[in-house]
Amino acid sequence: MLWKNTQNELIKITSKIRSYIGIGALTVLILLVIFAMQADGKTYIGFVTSTFEQTLTFNGNILNGNLIAFIIMQMLIVHVPLLIVLVTGDLLSGELASGTIRMLATKPISRTGIVLSKWFAATIYTLIMTLWMGFLSLFVAHWIFGTGDLMVLNPDGLLILPSDDLLWRFGISMVLAFLALWTVATLSLAFSAFAKNSVGPIVITMAVIILFTIIGTLDVTVFDDLKFYLFTTHMATWRIVFEDPFPTEDILISAMVLLGHVVGLLLLAIYRFNRKDINA
Amino acid sequence: MKIVSLVFLLLMFHLVNAQTVTLQGAIDRINTVKDYKADVQVKAAIPFIKIPITKAKVYFKAKNKFKVVSDNIVILPKQGMSDLNEFLVNPKRYTQVPGEYKMLNGLKTQLITLLPSDENSEIILAKVYLSAKEPLIYRTVLTTKSSGTVTIDYEYAQSKAFGLPSKMTFYIDVRKFKMPKSVAANIRSTEKQRKTEENQKGSIVIYFSNYQVNKGISDSFFKED
Repeated sequence: MLWKNTQNELIKITSKIRSYIGIGALTVLILLVIFAMQADGKTYIGFVTSTFEQTLTFNGNILNGNLIAFIIMQMLIVHVPLLIVLVTGDLLSGELASGTIRMLATKPISRTGIVLSKWFAATIYTLIMTLWMGFLSLFVAHWIFGTGDLMVLNPDGLLILPSDDLLWRFGISMVLAFLALWTVATLSLAFSAFAKNSVGPIVITMAVIILFTIIGTLDVTVFDDLKFYLFTTHMATWRIVFEDPFPTEDILISAMVLLGHVVGLLLLAIYRFNRKDINA
Repeated sequence: MKIVSLVFLLLMFHLVNAQTVTLQGAIDRINTVKDYKADVQVKAAIPFIKIPITKAKVYFKAKNKFKVVSDNIVILPKQGMSDLNEFLVNPKRYTQVPGEYKMLNGLKTQLITLLPSDENSEIILAKVYLSAKEPLIYRTVLTTKSSGTVTIDYEYAQSKAFGLPSKMTFYIDVRKFKMPKSVAANIRSTEKQRKTEENQKGSIVIYFSNYQVNKGISDSFFKED
């Protein structure tokens, strides 16, 4: 029954236009970045290497598919969650707003099952978005710009990683990006369990992401201890996959924190939905 | 009279044999190279840049055409590759001031200071340490307008007859690194950004092998892709 209900939820997601807004916006954004890099990528690279250009020359294919994929991921990691929330923030509250939750509750499935099926559907949608982002940023960028070493642009310098050392890193970074987006999807589902309309959970989730991101970027010591507990801090963990030496421990900790958020928020959603007063 | 003539001849003979190596000898060797290609391995230890050892092919054609071809990202010093040779082979561009003798890695060298004639020259001062035994340059200290001071140490092997080194070690000044936040924002970072010193020293070691000298390289090859 759980799987059948999940299938139903997926059908509902695919029948809504807003489900395609995220994928469409993602596609347009990535294609725009690729176009911009093709048109004026060398200026962008010059912006980065200008500090060294009086002393050094950079030779080889710097503007390659790996760098474009890295730049795309860096640009979109803050924005893609907002696109996901458009769909996942509506999953429970949308049913409440339209009244269809009463019909759903009459089915031979527990309330926990209803939340879980919606969560599975949200997970599959998030996975599709992540894979689509990975496909566009990595494969399309490779197809257009070719392969090559990756120049990782860090605030304290440049790290150059050889091309044969990158595919597995991109794979792990995609897994971590999925974990980050999954956390956001579950967060919006949890908010959705509290709300009675579609807009509220979407806006609140976006507000939380923006607020946490701003706290994370503020160079103020008072927030230093707090930053570790913000999921937005760990959403950027995909980036440290491209550090050398490979920070295994940091990555595992961040993955655990994100997974912890997913489990915690899912339990919160189940708890809240089970106690929700569904009436006419 | 015969004795005087004999002494004069002996003196001349001694002078010819004791003739010191001149910069012109080194220039003559450099001038024998019309073009070359070589495999290089580049090992860079530069502040703010972490890069693995990379391989590339370098192509040179007199006077100043130079190209690096590699599948990897290769970082080379801006000064001291082909521009130095271009400067050296034109004695009208500088005045030579012979200096002291100095031992470099157990090798006796003479310092020759080159003062550029053109006041707008990119090279402000060049100090060349020339071997006392053969016309080969073993160290160059190059002071330029844009890159500061670059010290280059040379080692020679098979292609020394052409004055082509088997190893070049560059010691360079690297300016304070400043990455735009929009390019490298890292919201994960909880550490305060390290304040970097104004300038730091870096080194680049280039190993040359498989020289192919004067085999002919087309001019079109050096055009930008």
